[in-house]
Amino acid sequence: MQETIKPPMGTDAPLIEGKQNYETITEKIGGIVLKSPPKIWYPLFALGFAGTMVMVFTICWLLLRGIGIWGVNQPVGWGFDIINFVWWIGIGHAGTLISAILLLLRQQWRTSINRFSEAMTIFAVMCAGMFPLLHTGRPWLDYWLFPLPNWLAMWPQFRSPLLWDVFAVSTYFTVSLLFWYTGLIPDFASLRDRAKGKIAQLICGTLSLGWRGSAKHWMRYESAYLLLAGLSTPLVLSVHSVVSLDFATSIVPGWHVTVFPPYFVAGAIYAGFAMVITLAVPFRMIYPQLKDYITNHHMDMMAKVMLATGLIVFYGYMMEAFYSFYSANQFETYMIENRFWGPYSGTYWALMICNGLIPQLLWFPRFRHNLFWLYGVSMVVNVGMWLERFVIISVSLHREYKPSGWGFYAGTQWDWSMFIGTIFFFVMMMFLFARFMPMIAIFEMRDLWHRLYHGKSGHNGHAPAHVPNSAEVTSKEDA
Amino acid sequence: MENQQERMDLSQIREKLDKAKEGGLWRSIGELAERPEFEEYLHQEFPRQSASLGDFVNRRQFFKLMGASLALAGLTACHRKPQGKIVPFVKAPEDMIPGQAVFYASTIIKNGGFGVGILAETHEGRPTKIEGNELHAASLGSSDAMMQAEILNLYDPDRSQAILKFGRIDTWKVFWEEAFTEAGRQKILKGAGLRILTPNTTSPTFIRQMQAFLKEFPQAKWYQYDPVNRDNLYEGARMAFGSPLMPVYDFAQAQTIVSLDSDFLYEGPAAIHSSRKFSEARRLREGMERMNRLYVAETMPSVTGSIADHRLRAKPSQIASLGVALAQAMGVPVNGASAGELSEAQRKWVEAAAQDLKASGSDGLVTVGDQQPAALHAIACAINAFLQSRVTRYIQPAEFNPGNNLNGIKALARDIQENTVEMLLILGGNPVYNAPADLKFEELIPKVKLTAHLSRYTDETSALCVWHLPESHPFETWGDARAFDGSVSLLQPLIGQLYPDTRSALEVITTLAGVSKLPYDLVKETWAGRNIDKLVHDGVVPNTAFPSVSVSVPESVSVPSGSLPSGSDTEIAFLPDPLIGDGSNANNTWLQEIPKPTTKVCWDNVAYMSLDMAARLGVKLDLTKQSYPLMEVKVGDRTLVVPAFPLPGHADGAITLHLGYGRTRGGQNGSGAGFNAYTLRGSDSMSMASGAELSVTRQMYPVACTEAHHVFDFGTGLKSPTDYIDSSNARPIMKVGSFTDYKKDPHLPDHHHHAMEPMSMYAERNYKTYDNPDNHKYAWAMVIDPQVCTGCNACVAACQAENNISVVGKDQVIRQREMHWIRVDRYYKGPADDPELNFLPVTCMQCEKAPCEVVCPVAATVHSEEGLNQMVYNRCVGTRYCSNNCPYKVRRFNFYKYADYDTPVLKLLRNPNVTVRGRGVMEKCTYCVQRINHARIEAKKENRRIREGEIVTACQQACPAQAIAFGDMNDPNSKVSQWRKQPQHFVMLEELNVTPRTTYLARVRNYHPELAPEEHHAGDH
Repeated sequence: MQETIKPPMGTDAPLIEGKQNYETITEKIGGIVLKSPPKIWYPLFALGFAGTMVMVFTICWLLLRGIGIWGVNQPVGWGFDIINFVWWIGIGHAGTLISAILLLLRQQWRTSINRFSEAMTIFAVMCAGMFPLLHTGRPWLDYWLFPLPNWLAMWPQFRSPLLWDVFAVSTYFTVSLLFWYTGLIPDFASLRDRAKGKIAQLICGTLSLGWRGSAKHWMRYESAYLLLAGLSTPLVLSVHSVVSLDFATSIVPGWHVTVFPPYFVAGAIYAGFAMVITLAVPFRMIYPQLKDYITNHHMDMMAKVMLATGLIVFYGYMMEAFYSFYSANQFETYMIENRFWGPYSGTYWALMICNGLIPQLLWFPRFRHNLFWLYGVSMVVNVGMWLERFVIISVSLHREYKPSGWGFYAGTQWDWSMFIGTIFFFVMMMFLFARFMPMIAIFEMRDLWHRLYHGKSGHNGHAPAHVPNSAEVTSKEDA
Repeated sequence: MENQQERMDLSQIREKLDKAKEGGLWRSIGELAERPEFEEYLHQEFPRQSASLGDFVNRRQFFKLMGASLALAGLTACHRKPQGKIVPFVKAPEDMIPGQAVFYASTIIKNGGFGVGILAETHEGRPTKIEGNELHAASLGSSDAMMQAEILNLYDPDRSQAILKFGRIDTWKVFWEEAFTEAGRQKILKGAGLRILTPNTTSPTFIRQMQAFLKEFPQAKWYQYDPVNRDNLYEGARMAFGSPLMPVYDFAQAQTIVSLDSDFLYEGPAAIHSSRKFSEARRLREGMERMNRLYVAETMPSVTGSIADHRLRAKPSQIASLGVALAQAMGVPVNGASAGELSEAQRKWVEAAAQDLKASGSDGLVTVGDQQPAALHAIACAINAFLQSRVTRYIQPAEFNPGNNLNGIKALARDIQENTVEMLLILGGNPVYNAPADLKFEELIPKVKLTAHLSRYTDETSALCVWHLPESHPFETWGDARAFDGSVSLLQPLIGQLYPDTRSALEVITTLAGVSKLPYDLVKETWAGRNIDKLVHDGVVPNTAFPSVSVSVPESVSVPSGSLPSGSDTEIAFLPDPLIGDGSNANNTWLQEIPKPTTKVCWDNVAYMSLDMAARLGVKLDLTKQSYPLMEVKVGDRTLVVPAFPLPGHADGAITLHLGYGRTRGGQNGSGAGFNAYTLRGSDSMSMASGAELSVTRQMYPVACTEAHHVFDFGTGLKSPTDYIDSSNARPIMKVGSFTDYKKDPHLPDHHHHAMEPMSMYAERNYKTYDNPDNHKYAWAMVIDPQVCTGCNACVAACQAENNISVVGKDQVIRQREMHWIRVDRYYKGPADDPELNFLPVTCMQCEKAPCEVVCPVAATVHSEEGLNQMVYNRCVGTRYCSNNCPYKVRRFNFYKYADYDTPVLKLLRNPNVTVRGRGVMEKCTYCVQRINHARIEAKKENRRIREGEIVTACQQACPAQAIAFGDMNDPNSKVSQWRKQPQHFVMLEELNVTPRTTYLARVRNYHPELAPEEHHAGDH
């Protein structure tokens, strides 16, 4: 614990900046919701909304005509649909990791970004969920994938990894949503108390579920939140492991790889942190008051996590290639040769550059501390992670066992409009979130401030010798 | 006068008809047109055609005439065809069970007028599937892709339904009035101005009627023309033996077969027969010591070339040189021609072929393609005679007036030019589209005063004729036809006329001759003295095959100078399209979509050329978009723009163009597909043209090719996939070897292929319960024998017809979404410019441990007790996971709603026993589970087990090479078990341990020791 409170290494930035007290924290964060948004919010939201309409139009056309409007074919039965699904699910992972695992590990720097990244998780899973639901030939029958009682007495087929996906993703979404909402309850109560308008009071009052801030409330809240964190923790690992089993359990060369579960989880966290940075940087510009709470310290930490997970992912790439050669299996060998030199070799090498090479810049504090570079690297990683799924899913499928069954794959305009549409949907949801919900957990920030500076005004005070954990703090205060 | 007031327009007619309709049903616009209301309209709209009404008619007169015509409406029978009715069963006969298919024998007419006997599966009165007729010499129970697709021609929604005059709907009554008027005039002139053009025909009844007709009009002329014909063959026989004779070969007995550009296993009236007989001789049997050897010299890889032991690629003009060289090497004197310079490869090929021919003696034969010049046919006749070949015999040709196609069409053109033709009847055929380009038929037809074109489509010729007469499909009429050997089979209607205004050529010519007889009676008359019921039942007329004609051995062959092609640097070979033929099948979507046997191109014709030539011309492909550059082909003053398509195995210095494409009025599917090669084809260049100029443009054109994706994988740093079945880089997909290897070790061991001991974490499902011969589980299995598979696609078409498989169109094929449940994979072996071709038909493998089943989240694909991998369409949600996990990639997905639910006439086509799949559903081969269940029901009714051979899958039934065995592999005596026990038996991708039920035998070539490829040399010495 000692080191987190020391004047931060490298970044020279504390976890909370500016002259703060409990009041200013509530005021600055809650004010975003209670006051009218900055002017730039409107065009940005409108842009997101317009893009969402593109997505809606695509979905309508898809339902009307069939998935033939996409580029999928024989042999490449999965293209943008599953690539985007895996990509979005991966992005979601950072949120849960930050809010659950880092909470359990008592990483204090998580506090100012957890709400934000949890929201990102929820919206990313929403985007992700659309793809498997819509990618089926007959989406109106998707409910057959759920174990619902029915007059046919037909269960889903439990050996199929796609079914495991259904359980994994739906559980993940539910738990993430509950976790998120639980964390929001005290903040809604604060907003309710501070809101001037009737409607805001009513809505925040309803959403705060009668929170009065009593010690009992806090006690229950703390245990509920800890429990949910405990529940979420395995999900961080399980969801993407299960997603990776879609591929690993198959017999497609390039899919049938035992290293996939950990490799996918690392990739997911990698992608997720890249996306958090991708969102945090512009949001700090739009809402300058956030800079006090999402400081360069946070950026530095996230960059380091990215670097670490990125190296794991890169190790995965090397292992894939190594296994293929070491297997002495002609199909596996050909698969990797085809990735290296085949018609889609461009995507493979682009992936290596995006995910393997460029993120190595983050070894250097100079790049970590330069938001321009950091933002650039995070964007590159976002692209790289998409390419990774393209290489794994479509490039493996396009040439497998039988040369007579080989083919090519390219997304159509509808693939792109669906993909870009979900990105805009995501952006729109993030802006709605920013407008109507506190982007940073107010009470947790106050708690953190309390713990960091323990009653001292100003932020440059000495660190307390002992920082009690939140449970201790609450119980002491209650007592 | 007051005509304006009396005029009606269509809306009024419609109103009137609506009232009239309440009283009765009507079936076609043509029938409507014979209603007086419509005639009234017609005559007012086109007053020059209604002389009887004239201008002077006032209201009173008009109604008088109207009344009269109403009264006379029933008396038009003297002009209309006699009514022959096919009456539906009012009371079902005892053995007629709804839901039970009934088979009727009939005949399909192939190019040249030759018949192939069929059995048509009929469900409640509608034919749905064609099978070969075992009793018929040209079928022997098998069929080909075109025969299978003929059923779609019957139900083609684009078929012409109405009689047209100048493109406007008219009536038969008016036509007959005009025709009889003109015919009456011609009768006085003895028919001097009357010409009739038909395709070649072998029908004894039709020929009899025509001859009777020509007796009435002695100066009238009857010409026959098919764009793809056998003129050269008959002319060659005339040169050798003095009369046009037809060679019939016995490929079952022949030991050495030399084919000079002859695709005898695929093209021509005897193709199915030949394929059947050839495969009998070719099939590997244990302890086999001798195998026939097939030499093929050809320009473009053909079906026959693909199975050849030694295929030599040669420019069209070089084929004749090879023939001359062969004759000389055999010691057959040829005067007036020399072989010229032969390349090393050609010389060795000729020497080896000559050596084998001499060794085989009377068991050797030489066959020449119809497109080769007559002199080469004469040389082949001489060689066969010299060999005293007992596997070649000659018979009288079955066609009427054989070998005069080009003469006929030229004479007709000359007659029209000289203005001697006043009435021209074109009964079938499409000369405006497919006559030699220099005759310019499109300019000639309008010069004739009265032209009438009987055709199933309003095609290019119909558009220029005064009258278009809708033709009945052969499945709707009575008739007869001869097979290649002269044996006769009958046509009987399999269904009532779909459109009441259609007529057959026989009906038209009989009516014009004033004979009022039903086609059935005419056929009966022809075969008087025989039991017509039995003939109709069997479909064939016994003992009608022509006897052999004995021929004398010609001393020598004299080749008139200039009768052999001189050749040039750039030649063009014109061939009929392998599937849509001369263009008459252009609107048949099945045939359009089935990949061409050796090139896998569909929906188009392209200019095939060698890889070297493509490189020289600078042809650059864009394979991700499947685009090929357009190329301008110039011969003399004729030009054609067509995509350049490099094809491994094509001869250098020549391009091949398939005829039959580029239709302008070929129906909604035929029009606009491909490029019209007829525009380059003159009467002096019917099969080959030389001196072509080629220039590749920058414009790209997408070509749907189902297997282009890997063939031209050059320049990516990967090994060319042409190597994939080479032993050096073997994928365990096919087992190929030489006959020498086979004799040494029939297992044809492959050192690169290791089957693992089956192992599994789970208890194995046991299918092998052969403890009691009378009470074991069935285990359905299939073995395919690539040794005899020619890749002809009959199985693909049969599967399409049997299983209601949708057609997806060119754009979707380019997107790799074709739906065929069985596909014929093509693998090359050897050098890229001149490889060996191997075909491998791939169905669903019905794996015992099917990878598709475990990954389906909704259990839509499950295993049956009998080992079938079943697809439950209505459970499928369409995740496509099963297809991704299928190592054989045999699953097909309905990306759109491909099945045509809307066109009424196509509903008649469907097999009622197979679900029509909707959008978003996966589908695949089911081993024709409907046929399995049919057999099961039959067996249960009789309280017995399903007998061996009782279940015949559609692909198996169609296969002319009998390359497919299907049955119960738990029965050690079944054919499929026997085949599985063969030493050269092979499991595709065995190491995946999915234990497929469809397995394969090996493909073995019988190399001449001197010509064997490098890797086989060691074994030969």
